[in-house]
Amino acid sequence: MSGGFNEIHPEPTTFISKYIISFDHKVIAKQFLWMGIAFLGLGGLMAILIRWTLAYQGTPFPILGALLFPDTGGVVPPDTYAMLFTMHGTIMIFYAITPILIGAFGNFCIPLMIGARDMAFPMLNMLSFWFAFLSGAVLLTSFFLPLGAASGGWTSYPTLSTTLGSPGAGQTLWCVAIFLFGVSSTMGAVNYVTTVITLRAPGMGYFDMPLTVWGLWLTAILNAIFVPVLGAGVILLTLDRVFGTTFFLAGASATSGSGDPVLFQHVFWIFGHPEVYILILPAWGIVSDLLSFFSRKPAFGAKATALAMTSVTVLSTVVYGHHMFTTQMSPLLTQAFMTMTMTISIPSAIFFANWLGTIWKGSIRFDSPMLFSLGVVFVFGLGGLTGLHLGTVTTDLYLHDTYFVVGHFHYTMAASVLLGGFAGIYFWFPKMFGRMMNEFWGKVHFWGSMLGLNGIFFGMLMVGYGGMHRRTYNPFVYEYLQKLIPINTFITLSALFMGAFQIVFVINFLYSLIKGPKASNNPWEVGTLEWTIPSPPVHHNYDEIPIVRCGPHELGNPNLKTGRDFQYQTEELVEG
Amino acid sequence: MNRNSLQNNLAMTVILISGTMLFATLLMGYAIYRTSASVWPPMGMMKVSLGYPVISTLTIFLSSWFSHQVKAEVKLGNISSARSNLDTTIVLGVLFLAVQTLLWNQLRNTGVYVESGIFASIMYGFTWIHAAHVVLGLSSLAWLRLVMKPTTNELWQKALNVEKFWHFLGIIWFILFLTLFVL
Amino acid sequence: MGLLAASVYGNWWQRSMPPTDISSNGQLIDGLWNYTTALCIFYFILVCLGLFGFSYLYSRKRHKTPYYTYGNKKQHIIVTAIIGAAVFLTIDLNITRIASNDLLQQFWKYPDPKTEKVLRVEVMAQQWMWSFRYAGADGKFATADDVVTNNDLRVPVNTKVLFHLTSKDVIHSFWVPNVRVKVDTIPGRVTRVWWDANVPGVYDIVCAEMCGANHYRMKAQLTVYTEKDFQKWVGSSQEIANITNDPDDVNQAWGWKWEI
Repeated sequence: MSGGFNEIHPEPTTFISKYIISFDHKVIAKQFLWMGIAFLGLGGLMAILIRWTLAYQGTPFPILGALLFPDTGGVVPPDTYAMLFTMHGTIMIFYAITPILIGAFGNFCIPLMIGARDMAFPMLNMLSFWFAFLSGAVLLTSFFLPLGAASGGWTSYPTLSTTLGSPGAGQTLWCVAIFLFGVSSTMGAVNYVTTVITLRAPGMGYFDMPLTVWGLWLTAILNAIFVPVLGAGVILLTLDRVFGTTFFLAGASATSGSGDPVLFQHVFWIFGHPEVYILILPAWGIVSDLLSFFSRKPAFGAKATALAMTSVTVLSTVVYGHHMFTTQMSPLLTQAFMTMTMTISIPSAIFFANWLGTIWKGSIRFDSPMLFSLGVVFVFGLGGLTGLHLGTVTTDLYLHDTYFVVGHFHYTMAASVLLGGFAGIYFWFPKMFGRMMNEFWGKVHFWGSMLGLNGIFFGMLMVGYGGMHRRTYNPFVYEYLQKLIPINTFITLSALFMGAFQIVFVINFLYSLIKGPKASNNPWEVGTLEWTIPSPPVHHNYDEIPIVRCGPHELGNPNLKTGRDFQYQTEELVEG
Repeated sequence: MNRNSLQNNLAMTVILISGTMLFATLLMGYAIYRTSASVWPPMGMMKVSLGYPVISTLTIFLSSWFSHQVKAEVKLGNISSARSNLDTTIVLGVLFLAVQTLLWNQLRNTGVYVESGIFASIMYGFTWIHAAHVVLGLSSLAWLRLVMKPTTNELWQKALNVEKFWHFLGIIWFILFLTLFVL
Repeated sequence: MGLLAASVYGNWWQRSMPPTDISSNGQLIDGLWNYTTALCIFYFILVCLGLFGFSYLYSRKRHKTPYYTYGNKKQHIIVTAIIGAAVFLTIDLNITRIASNDLLQQFWKYPDPKTEKVLRVEVMAQQWMWSFRYAGADGKFATADDVVTNNDLRVPVNTKVLFHLTSKDVIHSFWVPNVRVKVDTIPGRVTRVWWDANVPGVYDIVCAEMCGANHYRMKAQLTVYTEKDFQKWVGSSQEIANITNDPDDVNQAWGWKWEI
């Protein structure tokens, strides 16, 4: 079914209308990509500072240390450390992953893959980017305040995040930045949902959409419903901080009547749990498609994968309490959340089975996008399984707030999403920029990242199980943690190792942008709609809106006689 | 740019779902505060007198009615008539905000300040958040007023979209009215 | 090489074990962790066999013609369903059942001071210190003979201790890693936890919820005494309390009177 708005509108001509205030989804995608990569670098630098502090207590951070922390001779002080892990989390989740996976890939891939000329609401799209940008600017200014940026953890629990625990404007600006970002996300969600429903090319039913689009669409639905919940939470926190309301104040700070700090946790996690699925769904979709493309056979159980992704989306709304097992909710609620959390294993197991089924009896080409996709299967498998330990109440009573949690969510969010994001970047780079990235350095980047990521996050699982708690400036003031020092140092070395390999990526990316070999229309030889048009596409994408006649994973059909081993979605399915 | 009604309706539906979730979160919080308090209003405070809230409610309902007329007039092609209905809608909307201001003043006069604890936090906080969205609504009504010309593309659809948001604000207000002031 | 690796990693395996479990319920958690991990390793090995095995067997060089299937034939669906069901039944349902039982029969079975021998301690967390209050000789809290210690929790061995906790300012979390369970301390609320310590010794108490710049050093010490030594300590600390407490202000060192 297709709606209106697919006219060919004239191309922009001025520099501003082409690159700054652009309504073209492909340009907006790139804007999100630059923003995301820049913040990824900043967040990564913060991670290195954190890891340095943990492994080399009291040692000044090389070069940058003297610049950033002159008062302590280059050593990260404890209150700055708190700010570092707070902003690391905030930046990575909202300003790196969201812009890259959802802003960049969502914007670039959705219209192209469904055969549309642009998003349903290009002006809204443009506003969505600039709100995100504004939000980032607000967040960055908070670093320059006298009392620094927010430092109560990205989860920002009151009463630490009220004026009692966090004096200074940093936390307030954090709330404002998050709210603005929420507005941007909601705008994007409106666009993605409407575009997928109304602008699919004729002949493209929902199950003819590539799974990448499924992932992005389900993400947008979750965004639309749950981002406002966080929005409400940060508004109330801001009212507490600025106007003296008492929504979340209790104890000694509640001098004029008390509210409920735990209510914030409920509100936060009602958003927070769907948020982690928001972050991973695009990567799941991308991996599902790429495994098929590079195995040269259809995605195994594609419909089931789409339905499994949908059920995870639905289930993610009723499991949030597993973040709060130590707050003593009622036994009924606690057990209900544990049970519901367990059910998410079923759809997850199904798409693991489908992913393995896709590469089973394939004819696998190990190009970089494929290597990264296989990497996702590995790290998400490991990370996802550790969720079981955390979803079980009794083991969680030990593991809560330890590095086991940090290892778990970094495996599932950082490693999986990062590898999935890289898979997408290497895969769509030719379509975005008309050139190929270097394949050899792509492989080098993959192996370095894989080894590094596993070193870091498996190490974290280990020290967490050993009892090392999180958000700790110097864990070794505790006797029982002294034995973990070597493993901690290993984690830091892995982080430095992994960080170093990202330089390979940046150089490859920038070099290929300028001097990469020119890409053909379809360098990967796959059949989804975006590969039927030039690399990069013309401004209006499709001269004629394509008519879809088969699914997105038509590869390896033995009845094909054209010399190709795949069919474009615009071709009739060749039967025997 | 001709979008069909499905796209407009979908987009507005998503926007209204998002808005609903924001206010639903607030109401969920209110439910928890209220059910865990042994007496409401707590801390010996008095229930807010219904005078201003009732006037607000009637004002915003009236405003909604006029906004509904706007669309009907546009459909019939009576642009000037639509304009005057729209003007009335906007005036009533501003009047709503004026009555809210009177309500807030009255609260202050009875000794209920923003910092006066959870009851005050809810009264002021929730009505402020609603008022902020009313400002948003008024901005979109003002925009509609600017484009209320016979030459505007899809004027009827635009009027419908804005009207939906405006009704949404009225409905949210009504729910707040019932839960905060009546019950 | 292998021996070197084994000595390094074998040692690392040891190092990453949780601190010695000194409570009677700790083994429930450790046991469940082991069960979950064993099954996770099993399934993850299956995934890796698939991942690495298929990557090897079905690389383009080795397997030129892919098997054209949508994975929607009856046998495919059955295999997938079996995998999903197997994971759910063997891990999820089991660990949920075990955890539920453990919660209902142990962790949530708070000892009743009226019917069993239990030591009651009140805990107040603040930035950045732990205060512990004992009822003193009269057995009643908020009286002039309460014993209040800072960062210094002492309990007798093999005795259930029932804690009631709150926080003065921000959310903290009371955690003795050797005992395994933790509970948040929340301003404006009283939470509770119970455990027993079966091995005399000195152990770390940790704050397990970010509570500000000095969260990392919000350390306290748990001393587990033999019964005799505990009584000795009770005597000496009571003496000190009787001298230092102000009888007209029983909550002087405690902040305010709080009811359970």
